[in-house]
Amino acid sequence: MSDLDKAISELRACKIIPEPQVREICHKARELLIEEANVVQVDAPVTICGDIHGQFHDLMELFRVGGDVPDTNYLFMGDFVDRGFYSLESFLLLLCLKVRYPDRITLIRGNHESRQITTVYGFYDECLRKYGSANVWRYCCEVFDYLALGALVLGTSSTLEPSFTDQSQATEAVDDDVEIEIMNSRNEITARFPRSRRRLFESDGLNSSPPGTPSKAGPPGTGATSDSGGSHLSGGAVLCVHGGLSPLIDSVDKIRLLDRKQEVPHEGAMCDLLWSDPDEIDTWGLSPRGAGFLFGPDIVKRFNHLNDLSLIARAHQLVMEGFKEMFDSSIVTVWSAPNYCYRCGNVAAILELGEDTSNGGVVSRSNGDPGRSSQAFSPNQALRSGPGRRYRVFEAAPQDPRGMPAKKPVADYFL
Amino acid sequence: MAAPHIPKLNTLSNARGTGHGRGRAGSGGILITGAEEDKSAKDRVVQQTDQDASVSRLSAVEAGYLDDPFAKYFVSGEGQRRFPIINRGTYVRTKAIDNLVDEFLSKNPAQEKQIISLGAGSDTRFFRLMSRRPVSHGRGILQRPNVIYHEIDFQANTIPKLHPIKKLSELSGHIGSPVMFSHSTNPSEIYNDDSLHADQYHVHPVDLRNLDPSRPAPRSFDFVDTALPTLIISECCLCYLPAAAADTVALYFTQHLFPNSTPVGLILYEPIHPNDAFGKTMVSNLAARGIVLQTLKKYGSLEAQAARMKSYGLEGTGGASVKDLWDKGVEGKEKERVAGLEMVDEVEEWELLAGHYCVAWGWRGGPEDDVWEGWKSMAERIGGK
Repeated sequence: MSDLDKAISELRACKIIPEPQVREICHKARELLIEEANVVQVDAPVTICGDIHGQFHDLMELFRVGGDVPDTNYLFMGDFVDRGFYSLESFLLLLCLKVRYPDRITLIRGNHESRQITTVYGFYDECLRKYGSANVWRYCCEVFDYLALGALVLGTSSTLEPSFTDQSQATEAVDDDVEIEIMNSRNEITARFPRSRRRLFESDGLNSSPPGTPSKAGPPGTGATSDSGGSHLSGGAVLCVHGGLSPLIDSVDKIRLLDRKQEVPHEGAMCDLLWSDPDEIDTWGLSPRGAGFLFGPDIVKRFNHLNDLSLIARAHQLVMEGFKEMFDSSIVTVWSAPNYCYRCGNVAAILELGEDTSNGGVVSRSNGDPGRSSQAFSPNQALRSGPGRRYRVFEAAPQDPRGMPAKKPVADYFL
Repeated sequence: MAAPHIPKLNTLSNARGTGHGRGRAGSGGILITGAEEDKSAKDRVVQQTDQDASVSRLSAVEAGYLDDPFAKYFVSGEGQRRFPIINRGTYVRTKAIDNLVDEFLSKNPAQEKQIISLGAGSDTRFFRLMSRRPVSHGRGILQRPNVIYHEIDFQANTIPKLHPIKKLSELSGHIGSPVMFSHSTNPSEIYNDDSLHADQYHVHPVDLRNLDPSRPAPRSFDFVDTALPTLIISECCLCYLPAAAADTVALYFTQHLFPNSTPVGLILYEPIHPNDAFGKTMVSNLAARGIVLQTLKKYGSLEAQAARMKSYGLEGTGGASVKDLWDKGVEGKEKERVAGLEMVDEVEEWELLAGHYCVAWGWRGGPEDDVWEGWKSMAERIGGK
């Protein structure tokens, strides 16, 4: 067993590894990450995860529900650390897996992967407590600076493959018409939404369209309707980013041009990508967080159209149902920390996107047609049809599984 | 577990019985039995919530939310930095109650008034009121208020409370001249271990559960002037009692101790909404620490709190969640200042947490009804009916 595999098995048992080894792993991780573009290209199939926040036992539950690395291809959208009691173990495990299986796990940066934020929200204190010095925190922060800012998932399918662990229903192919499937942690389907009739259903995680907004199916003759009949069509490209959009960024290419190898700035494009939130407003608004912006449906739909995206997947905001689609499914929030801070009572979710096999696995991708950005965009224009989406919803791991020496977390209240 | 505590309690109870001539037989003597041991262990958990609150207060002070030079004197051991939303919550709750207190005191400022703080623990409000320089408030100027301030708590909390007050002139300088029980010839009684009686400040070591209209009041209640317009504050105190016992305590003051002719106001700061996902988690997390929010089921909403005030004979009511108190009650430059103190990357969590606590206020008139004018407008502005 290599040292790295040993470290992985230690970390899986929620044990910390020696400081020199942390240093070495952080160094190797940086060598890997420095080669990555600001926007990493990831091929479907992929499982997209939101905030983890040091909830180690829940991360183990996530792997149980979503499959282990390297069997499942993972994309984590940041906020690995802070708030929970096991930020170190959680982040170092993910980092070791990244070094061990670089093509099977993608890590992008969240707003908590920052020196300033980790000193307020717990990771710094945790490092100090567990190692007696700030060295390990420093090594980790140096890795943070090299994490990619986003990922572009290509080669998604518009349809859903049967679930890989789906024994009872494995033989039963998923109807091509199914756009969204929701499963619980026992691998049972709890809801399905067909592409054309999806809006007839209401689910906690699915935001119903406000009245008056255009239906995604669009008028007859637009591209949107032709999708529903076909099978194994491309689900389009999905941009993954921790927070959201920036008024300074109108194309994916502009993200590629940023100089990311630094502490998260207090303002500017890089800050916005990690801090912003979607909201039901016109265009842009001030964020109550004090960093980033709020952006409305028109902004998302225009961005998706101009960049030939079918969906933006982001994390950053606690959603009680684990995921929340907004703005006619043009953007989704994925949240993967169940019972956040051991206090919020929420469930968590991960998002599985299947692979489009219709074209022999060849992915064609343009960043939009020439002149696309000069076209007038009308919000009534048909949106690109989204990929088939399977949400696996899961609850918090039992507090003290199998006698694991878990310190009982104490959540703060007003007493 | 409870063993080391027993002799101490007995000793103190004897001391009080003989030395001070204040036999507690009338208001429930202390007799430790097996069941009582269990009860006293439970009581200690509730008593210790005060240390949690004082650590949170100091954290909010050190982070710049609150200006409270006294907070540091009442934290035993090391302080602890709280997360920004806890600091903000401590700020909002403190400011909301400060505002209600100021509205009460600034009306007819020459008129002597009275405040009774239930389960006051290490609260610093008395010292903050007494130490402030004249400040403008609304249309008037707030002077050092003409108020008699009573704090009532378990003896287990009054003893540590009085310790720094006796020791430090920064605190004792604010309490005014000591007063004595009329019968007493022993000046040391003024600075008892567990009680204090001075011109404007009284600390009563009384277990609220022993208050019973059919029994004589604790002797130290002689210092309560039942004719003065009086404000009663329960900041996370009554919520730890069984609902019926909490009602008994509230009614003891509103219906028994004070005649109907006396204007009485009540401020409650309590959790609400136990039945949604966050509320259920809160209840079970606190239960795991031995903290049971006993009134939460009965008074789990702003509507239920308003009805509760009416059942105590208080005609006017107001109330708002801590979230609304922040959204609507903190304004302009002050909001900008507080929001800028720390990056709050916990917006959704703040809304959840702050939505699960409320400040409720209720009042009854008497001839000086206008003493509650500010409370009415606060109810109209922020919440209530």
